[in-house]
Amino acid sequence: MDLSQNHIHNQSAANLYYQFGSDNSFPGLGTQQQFPPFTSPFGASPSTNIPHMDWNPATMLDNLTFIEEKIRQVKDVIHTMVDSGGQLSCHQGEIAQKKQVVNADLTCLIVQLISTAGSLLPSLKNSSFLRHPAAGHMDMANHVGPSSGLVPNAMTVSEENKEDMCSPEDYEELFKGWTDGTIKEGIEIGNVLVEEQDMKDGDEGKDGENLPPGSCELLQLEKDEILAPHTHFCSICGKGFKRDANLRMHMRGHGDEYKSPAALAKPPRDASAEHELVKRYSCPFVSCKRNKLHKNFQPLKTILCVKNHYKRSHCEKSYTCSRCHTKKFSVMADLKTHEKHCGRDKWLCSCGTSFSRKDKLFAHVALFQGHTPALPSEEPKTCSDQISHAGSHQESTKVPNSMGSSFMWGASSGDNNALDIKGFDGCNDDFLSTANFGSFNLSFGPADGFTGEPSGGSFSMLPSEHFQSA
Amino acid sequence: MSRQAQKLDSAAGDGAVGIGVLSLDLLGQVLHGLWEPRDRKACRLVSRAFERAEAAHRRALRVLRREPLPRLLRAFPALELLDLSACASLDDASLAAAVAGAGGGLAGLRSVCLARANGVGWRGLEALVAACPKLEAVDLSHCVSAGDREVAALAAAAGLRELRLDKCLAVTDMGLAKVVVGCPRLEKLSLKWCREISDIGIDLLAKKCPELRSLNISYLKVGNGSLRSISSLERLEELAMVCCSCIDDEGLELLSKGSDSLQSVDVSRCDHVTSEGLASLIDGRNFLQKLYAADCLHEIGQRFLSKLATLKETLTLLKLDGLEVSDSLLQAIGESCNKLVEIGLSKCSGVTDEGISSLVAQCSDLRTIDLTCCNLITNNALDSIADNCKMLECLRLESCSLINEKGLKRIATCCPNLKEIDLTDCGVDDAALEHLAKCSELRILKLGLCSSISDKGIAFISSKCGKLVELDLYRCNSITDDGLAALVNGCKRIKLLNLCYCNKITDTGLGHLGSLEELTNLELRCLFRITGIGISSVAIGCKSLIELDLKRCYSVDDAGLWALARYALNLRQLTISYCQVTGLGLCHLLSSLRCLQDIKMVHLSWVSIEGFELALRAACGRLKKLKMLCGLKTVLSPELLQMLQACGCRIRWVNKPLVYKD
Repeated sequence: MDLSQNHIHNQSAANLYYQFGSDNSFPGLGTQQQFPPFTSPFGASPSTNIPHMDWNPATMLDNLTFIEEKIRQVKDVIHTMVDSGGQLSCHQGEIAQKKQVVNADLTCLIVQLISTAGSLLPSLKNSSFLRHPAAGHMDMANHVGPSSGLVPNAMTVSEENKEDMCSPEDYEELFKGWTDGTIKEGIEIGNVLVEEQDMKDGDEGKDGENLPPGSCELLQLEKDEILAPHTHFCSICGKGFKRDANLRMHMRGHGDEYKSPAALAKPPRDASAEHELVKRYSCPFVSCKRNKLHKNFQPLKTILCVKNHYKRSHCEKSYTCSRCHTKKFSVMADLKTHEKHCGRDKWLCSCGTSFSRKDKLFAHVALFQGHTPALPSEEPKTCSDQISHAGSHQESTKVPNSMGSSFMWGASSGDNNALDIKGFDGCNDDFLSTANFGSFNLSFGPADGFTGEPSGGSFSMLPSEHFQSA
Repeated sequence: MSRQAQKLDSAAGDGAVGIGVLSLDLLGQVLHGLWEPRDRKACRLVSRAFERAEAAHRRALRVLRREPLPRLLRAFPALELLDLSACASLDDASLAAAVAGAGGGLAGLRSVCLARANGVGWRGLEALVAACPKLEAVDLSHCVSAGDREVAALAAAAGLRELRLDKCLAVTDMGLAKVVVGCPRLEKLSLKWCREISDIGIDLLAKKCPELRSLNISYLKVGNGSLRSISSLERLEELAMVCCSCIDDEGLELLSKGSDSLQSVDVSRCDHVTSEGLASLIDGRNFLQKLYAADCLHEIGQRFLSKLATLKETLTLLKLDGLEVSDSLLQAIGESCNKLVEIGLSKCSGVTDEGISSLVAQCSDLRTIDLTCCNLITNNALDSIADNCKMLECLRLESCSLINEKGLKRIATCCPNLKEIDLTDCGVDDAALEHLAKCSELRILKLGLCSSISDKGIAFISSKCGKLVELDLYRCNSITDDGLAALVNGCKRIKLLNLCYCNKITDTGLGHLGSLEELTNLELRCLFRITGIGISSVAIGCKSLIELDLKRCYSVDDAGLWALARYALNLRQLTISYCQVTGLGLCHLLSSLRCLQDIKMVHLSWVSIEGFELALRAACGRLKKLKMLCGLKTVLSPELLQMLQACGCRIRWVNKPLVYKD
């Protein structure tokens, strides 16, 4: 894998591969700026809906200019291949790599065309042109070639590939993938068979999945496809839907022919689908662990995983919690989950940090010297008063008198001449309200007196046990 | 009053000038030599000089009532130990006021006991801690309402080394965390019965208090994870984990990986601990001295025995209560641990004479032997104990009914240090007591259910055992007033006396008891012959009386209560269920006794509802425990009940039939 990455770095043409649909994602590759930045035909921001349905001539022109540019780039790449074609001794991997780049670009072009054509798509879908029996994904995968370029038989593959590169079958297959819903989210850019060598290279994913070599098909969606809000479009009005089922429901409004049970039923899976390879996905963000070029590549299992992963890891966190106004999320569902618990972080540390779980708080307290859990306050005001008291007491312990006076005990303080009420008012009232000082006052009487009288009867004197040592 | 005090008295009487010229320091030294509180009181009462000396030098104080607390704290500025556990109706405000009134007088205070002081909350504690910068030990045990806030108040005492929180039911991990962060120098901590504390709290404790030497986590719902944390405590010497049912052998193995400082381990009633776990614990602990494994083992494995042998030099205490033992096992224990000082075999089945003989043959240092309910043993076992264990101090033989006076004769002759013997339900007679009387060091003697004991036997005891402190004569119903007369003649130091169901005793007998000035606990259950007259003589004579049980003394009436109200000023616990008292007597009693904290009054048929209501209102702030018939629950005014509960009083409502079946 490392080797292949080096190849890519060494080839300026290879940048094409990265360039498409990821205009701002790869600061690490400096050469990418050789192509003029273009506006993605799917719109710069994920929030603009279905731009290809927009019949704005300016956009159309933009798109066509982009396609032109792209074709020119592909031609350049092929030129270099032709130039170096004489010396077949050159790295086979390099050629395979270039071919893959070309393939990717061509695919991109097709997609661009389709998306620019927009409403032509449904008619394409229905045409006999696409009604072939499936050519088989294995074929397709072989045509495209391995991503690593380290496959021993890559040369022969690429030889075949050269001839077949532009054959209509490829496009049929591609369209099929695009339209038949098995690849729901859209466009295949890199369709790669994971070869044995790939799996051996790095650590296998910690996800614990251990698919036998060659048994899974690796797909990589591009940013725009990942961020596109809708993947199912109405062939008549162009409205987009997240789910095919919703689209079918929508179609009912377009005529009685869409109301038949057959039209409403879930389209049966092709018989060939059962034999299909398990699909795994790669993140388009290079250097991400979920990208197929990463040394410890861990594939994503579903389209949904791809979407969530890409948004969480590589997108701005645009949803802010409306309660705490601090936590931000890029996936709406995460925000919803957070909002359910937000404000319930009842485990509070003295430093002000709050935790949703007690063990987290305790781990925090264990880590930081002097931090201590804060108790939930019953009466917040009294509590804060009390804290300030504790402080004042600690200060005043050096001066005994001032400490005595910092407590003001209504009835009991008769012998305290210098009264100094230090912010005790806050809790003084409720503190003393329940206290019964009736008898207490009496005890302040003969404080220095001779406390003992021999007779044991009178209540005014202490029982003998008062002076009993513990 | 002891002779010492009398001498000082006479000196004071001869010329107060003589004592007055001595410096306070010297007088303080004199007072320091007086052990008995009564003697010190005598000195204090007869001489101002002594009073001043005591005021300056007194270190410990136990306060019984709330009212004089502020004055006492000011009077004794050098206090180091303050015991407020018996201080009736102590609450936040009074404690804080007393502390504030004492000024700097508490600066030297090191230890405060607030056990069962239910009325004290976090405000009082905060004031106390703020006023005592040198505070090192606090006992909050059995303050059932104490919670995190109270404990958090203690956390401000940064120098705290000892803390007891037994049965502070509301304390959670949060409170514990406050303490362990605030008091990092903690050395002794008891968390017994703080059921809210979990592994998380214990883990933090182990991280924050590295100097911990003694830890009690009994009855907590903690698991092996706690033991893993605890094993990181390098100085831990004592660890008690009674009835921690989530702890098993795995936990003990984790514990064994800790440091070698551990000396005492208590795994009593830990259901999931086996001898294998103990063996792995011992494996790492060559310095283990005490091992409590009562009611937790079902069998002893060979591995445990072999490990036990490695503790030969150190192990002094072994408790195996409730285990099924064999002769060979006892012999093996004897051979492995011949330095044993105490062995507990209470309720062990299979303990025979042979087993005991082979055990004691090896362990000649034994001082305490607990054979409660080992009912197979006979005089032969006692003979071998007497022959081998000359140092014996405590022997518990409850329900060993095969023994008789011959065995006890041997014990009494050979073990002159015997201080405590339990012969409950052993069927011994006067002849046995005649032999036991040779043990002049005897402090505790339990003779319950030995109905053949008569006045004669008591006379033997009283003639020789002048140091007797506790005597249990439960259901020794041959004893009469003459026996009591003989008893008080010789045994004047008795503090605890149980005479329940000795129903030949009359007021005359109680009149004799009146000369026991040090008597603190007296149980007179079901003595239907005694009346108010007898109670009066006890109340007048026994000035130290703290606990009195008069349940089913059917002839006791208001006169008895009046006497108690007038004289038994230190009375703290009282049972008057089934007595023939009226509302008037009850009101007077409850309004007069200012130390009374616990009263049981079931089936007082002569007391009207108004009587109860008034009496309880009079005692409201002081009562901590109350037992009444549940029928009263609905008829007493709810505000009274609320008030009682607000003052920290727990009420037990019982439903018992009036008719007594004997």
